[in-house]
Amino acid sequence: MMGQSPRIEALGLTCSYDGGRIAALRGLDLSIDAGEFIAIVGPSGCGKSTLLAMLGALEAPQSGTLSFDGRAFPAPHRASAFRARHIGFVFQSFHLLPTLSAAENIEVPMLESTQSQRQRRERARMLLQLVGLDHRSDDRPSMLSGGERQRVAIARALANQPSVLLADEPTGSLDSINAARVMQLFEQLHAELGTTLVVVTHDGKVAGHAQRVVRMQDGRIIADVEHAA
Amino acid sequence: MTLAGIAWRNVHARPSRSVLTLIGIALSVAAVVALTALAWGFEASWQRAADVRGTDAVVTRTASQNALPSPFDAGVSDTVRSLPQVREVAGLLSELMSVNDAPPMFVFGWQAESFLWRHLTLTSGRFPIENGRAEVALGRLAADLLGKRVGETIHVDAEPFVLVGIFDSPALVENGAALMTLAQMQRITDHLDRVNLINVRLNDGSDEITLAQFRAAVAQALPGYLAVTAGDLVQQNVMVRLAQAMSWAVTVLAVLIGGAGVFNTMLMSVFERTREIAILLAVGWRRGRVIRMILLESLVLGLAGGVMGVLLGSLAVEALLWSDMIRGRIDAQITTGLVGYALTVAVALGLVGGVYPAIRASGLKPASALHAD
Repeated sequence: MMGQSPRIEALGLTCSYDGGRIAALRGLDLSIDAGEFIAIVGPSGCGKSTLLAMLGALEAPQSGTLSFDGRAFPAPHRASAFRARHIGFVFQSFHLLPTLSAAENIEVPMLESTQSQRQRRERARMLLQLVGLDHRSDDRPSMLSGGERQRVAIARALANQPSVLLADEPTGSLDSINAARVMQLFEQLHAELGTTLVVVTHDGKVAGHAQRVVRMQDGRIIADVEHAA
Repeated sequence: MTLAGIAWRNVHARPSRSVLTLIGIALSVAAVVALTALAWGFEASWQRAADVRGTDAVVTRTASQNALPSPFDAGVSDTVRSLPQVREVAGLLSELMSVNDAPPMFVFGWQAESFLWRHLTLTSGRFPIENGRAEVALGRLAADLLGKRVGETIHVDAEPFVLVGIFDSPALVENGAALMTLAQMQRITDHLDRVNLINVRLNDGSDEITLAQFRAAVAQALPGYLAVTAGDLVQQNVMVRLAQAMSWAVTVLAVLIGGAGVFNTMLMSVFERTREIAILLAVGWRRGRVIRMILLESLVLGLAGGVMGVLLGSLAVEALLWSDMIRGRIDAQITTGLVGYALTVAVALGLVGGVYPAIRASGLKPASALHAD
């Protein structure tokens, strides 16, 4: 059971790099309802990843506000507890720790929780079962296929029962078969757990799994379309 | 999976670099172990010698801080003997002298039939006596080192002495020494009627009050002289202080050199794992946990290097104790205290080397986990 999904509100977000020469976000507004499955699409450099970093409290906007269930986001340098409790991340390149087994990788975020070692191990085993990899729990990432690694990464993202799952190009490093499997898993998890799911992608097929597609260009939202269920 | 487990895996994941760092730490700690064992052993050897002689206090010149204080008038013994707290007095004269072609050896001249001789056990022959002849006894180790038996002749500062006995002492310093009567020692050192220490046994043992009274009595009756316990004398000994200072200097150097090795290893490790550490921060790890992980890694290196260093240092001490220069002079031992001291040094150098890389790692931006893709 995941934490209760909150509503996320972004108002007038701006962000620029290189002393203001490169504008990543230009006054972006976005509301994400509790339990939504949303895809953010757009060409490279349109600001998708910057927006995702802000939604995950990894970066702060230079102006504008971000609220989580009506309360302002914490500053990034004080956001560890917030991230540990509410946010789960899935990265394009999986980013599993190479020295740890699949189960141990899933336990990593749980070190910030109050769970005992036994409880952590038990939950990691349960999550591996959820993503269909309970038979690979002792294998290190180097022994897993790309698709398996991403499924372990998804299990890791769910470790602390987050209310929001943020995925940055989750199928970007996978072949089409594994990409489809991973997206099916996302759909299944979204349906079973009710987690808010935000996926950044440039792949139309991936976006097709979402309930809502937000299209970005030059740091702004240029389209926001709800898909029929 | 625990934080310590993750730290251990990280150290284990880079075996070549970890082993090189461990070797550096081990050599630093081994130097600390070897030199400190010798310094402490040097101090303990003299303390042991005083203890086994049953000496409650020693009278010497006020200004003397040498291991072998400058000689003074042996008549001082009579004044000391007359003090009400005193039970027995024994003057002695000792020096480092050449004996045959061996490295310089301690030679003691003890007042004949004084209490100083009582703790010795003869293994062959007899002790030297006041008969006007040049006679000497050797400690077990000294006899072994010189390869001499009773009845043979040895040369002390080129003067021939008949070896009349070989003895065993509970004190290593004495086992590695040559022993003759005070009169013979005064003769060959041209210090007639002089001693450089007066060993005293008090009426009531080493009772604090009696000792304080004795000290006051010596200060009053013998200006320029001082009564101290054997322990105080050892602590004031300039050679002991020098050995302690050298031990400290090596310890500080070991922390700096070993710490620099850990610093280099951990900083490189942090640079290589920038993305990995950013991921940990992104999944909710607090900066404090990242700091603890890096410090644990440096502590693992420090402690493992420390254990290797203790073993290596122990071997070095054993080897040194078999060398002619050290054998029979310094009773160096690897005590629990020394092992604890060496491991503390290892922990310190691990911390010194790990602090900056840990702080640097914790300062990484978690957003770089996303941008790394």
